[in-house]
Amino acid sequence: MQQVFTKAMARNIFLGGAVFFLAIYVALSVDTWRQIPVRDHASELSAAVRHGKYLVDSNNCIGCHTVNGEGAYYAPELGNVYTRRGPDFIKQWIKIQPTGVPGRRQMPHFDFSDAELNDLVAYLQWLSHIDTNHWPPNAEG
Amino acid sequence: MRAQDREALPGDLAIWIFIFAELLVFGILFAVYAFARSAHVALFNQGQALLDRRLGLANTLVLITSSYAVARATEAIHRDRVQACGRWLLAALLLGSLFVGIKCHEFARDAQAGMNLSHDLFQMFYLSLTGFHFLHVVMGMAILAAVAAKTFAGGYRAHDCTGVETAGAWWHMVDLVWIILFILVYVLR
Amino acid sequence: MNFRSQLVAKPYFVAALALFLGQILFGLIAGFQYVDGTFLFPAIPFSVSRMVHTNLLIVWLLMAFMGAAYFIVPEEAQTELYSPRLALATFWVFLVAGALTILAYLLVPYSDLAAATGNAMLPTMGRGYLEQPLPTKVGIVLVALSLLFNISMTLFKGRRTSLNVILVGALWGLALLFLPAFYFPEDTVKASYGWWWVVHGWVEGDWELILSALLGFILIKMTGVDREIVEKWMYVIIAMTLISGIIGIGHHYYYIGAPEYWIWLGSVFSAIEPIPFIMLIVFSIRMLLKRRRENPNQAAMLWALGTPIVAFLGAGLWGAMITLAPVQYYAHGSNFTAAHGHLAFFGAYAMVSLAIISYAMPLLRGRVANGIAAQRWEMSGFWIMVISMLAIALALSGAGIVTAFSQRMGDHPLSFMDTQAQEQVFFWLRELAGVGFLAGLLAYLVSFFVPGEAGYDAAVKRALS
Repeated sequence: MQQVFTKAMARNIFLGGAVFFLAIYVALSVDTWRQIPVRDHASELSAAVRHGKYLVDSNNCIGCHTVNGEGAYYAPELGNVYTRRGPDFIKQWIKIQPTGVPGRRQMPHFDFSDAELNDLVAYLQWLSHIDTNHWPPNAEG
Repeated sequence: MRAQDREALPGDLAIWIFIFAELLVFGILFAVYAFARSAHVALFNQGQALLDRRLGLANTLVLITSSYAVARATEAIHRDRVQACGRWLLAALLLGSLFVGIKCHEFARDAQAGMNLSHDLFQMFYLSLTGFHFLHVVMGMAILAAVAAKTFAGGYRAHDCTGVETAGAWWHMVDLVWIILFILVYVLR
Repeated sequence: MNFRSQLVAKPYFVAALALFLGQILFGLIAGFQYVDGTFLFPAIPFSVSRMVHTNLLIVWLLMAFMGAAYFIVPEEAQTELYSPRLALATFWVFLVAGALTILAYLLVPYSDLAAATGNAMLPTMGRGYLEQPLPTKVGIVLVALSLLFNISMTLFKGRRTSLNVILVGALWGLALLFLPAFYFPEDTVKASYGWWWVVHGWVEGDWELILSALLGFILIKMTGVDREIVEKWMYVIIAMTLISGIIGIGHHYYYIGAPEYWIWLGSVFSAIEPIPFIMLIVFSIRMLLKRRRENPNQAAMLWALGTPIVAFLGAGLWGAMITLAPVQYYAHGSNFTAAHGHLAFFGAYAMVSLAIISYAMPLLRGRVANGIAAQRWEMSGFWIMVISMLAIALALSGAGIVTAFSQRMGDHPLSFMDTQAQEQVFFWLRELAGVGFLAGLLAYLVSFFVPGEAGYDAAVKRALS
């Protein structure tokens, strides 16, 4: 009688396959990790940029917006908003929220100081320089 | 071995599912390679010129020979010649290490030439295809070693040799993929 | 149910369903804010309703998984749970911590919550699904450790079946994969790259192991098919899951700043990611065809068969559509992704949770199965929810396709808000389908209050007919 494909063999394929592909993934991640600082100009992560990022995170901006396509799809992309709108528009826009236009999506009022707005814009500017393999397709995000 | 067994696929059906899945992945990779090549012919020709066909050919011969050894091992165990089966498996293992040695030498040369995954599309394909295949060889050798050890310990008999057949099927797949890879990446320009 | 300590699963299942209802209500609020942007503003801004919607999803699924673990592990190990008391205490800790977190989301501005919970010290907040403040995240780890200690000890003192080992191992994996939530580098690209360790690691890796373990358990119990066959299939399926899924993570790396090779590697491996879902369907149908007995709990059977099918549609089919890099280039960060997310989460993880609840709850309430009337309510709930969720996915896909064509293609692309205005009809359809889903969920919940149970006589009669 031929021995059939046993559960033990199936288990070995599962374990072997998992280890095999995890090893590949780790190797690729090491390479990716080395490349990311070049692709996103990590050397330009100034104190202002870091603080701007902290403001974006601690106010849950991606609860409505996307950053490089990740987040919620309720409000425009932020990864390239600097290119699309420029610094002055962004600051002004945040200051006048909410618009209160009936039916239109509302953005809460965030009580940012001028210094905080500058940091925020510094972060958005940094975001706009990341090499994202040419995404988004155009400035509209 | 009984006549009706001979007609069925050797090894077990489930291992063939995995071999099929593996071939599917490699098949998609090859298709994508061919697609990318047709879009960037000059770049690929230039990249392929950097490869040493002699090393690729040597490795092809090494793997084909080791496949032969595995086939002899399977045949031996069907005749209940346990020691012969074990020796053929060892021979296949030895040839596998030779492949690994040559390929490592080639990878070292590539690294010296400044190749990496992000330099250009050809190098990305060349390195991931051969790297992915290389890991399959290493995995196949681990399987062959385990099966050889069990063979010498008397773990297989003519009527109970799924392990040898399964390892053999896997090794033949690794060999087959290399032959296609060799032709596609090294030879066709 | 063979062991008294399995009863501890009951509060977990009840709480899971209550939180599920809460998730749907906040989903309806968020959905309505798509059609009327001023709805409930500024009391509950969209970012809050969405956050409550997604966080309740995670909490109720975890509740259901934990309840399933406390139900299945003793049964499989053929021994009482190591400590039912610890399991019950853990339940209350988890429920109270979860409720407090949700209340905090609703009552406190997010940045104040961050400031009050030491986020500046160790920033972890502000990432999708991982919005929880630091104390909640620590609490999740502690709850998970308590669960793992309890079920691992049970496993060690009892029978170690493959199914049980896979389930307990996958729950360890769930806890381990949560740990990158504490790692939030200042480099946004690295942060995204690591965020997927949790999110992809859970929903396209580890949770699929839990999914097949739960489904395997239900099928063994309901069909009486030989355990060896079921467990072998489970190993083959989860092997394919990891073989395709580990490098398949690359489909999240195309456009976030990671190197270009992920576009190629991610596309190739993602292309085979639907295979384990197809195998799951084949597996379930084969087991049902080979069944050695008729189970009077037809509703549980329906869930067990529906799960792999809708999971395939949502995770396999909808996922595959946006997984190829050239398609994702236009679909990335659009409602097409939301369509995939809804159908996949529901089909794979919500439905398998409802399946195990459907199988276990009657037993926990001391009966073989619910009466015919209750099962009719439950099966109506099944169909209404499944059809509504398909409608939600279709509506969101429609919106995503408009985004791709109007906002991302052509020489004169529309702005984001102008494009959204064009998609209004789809957002209305989604909201209507959402109301339908709520109706289905209510029908499902009604089934728990319909009296009567299926006796052995009825079961025997059904088996003979």
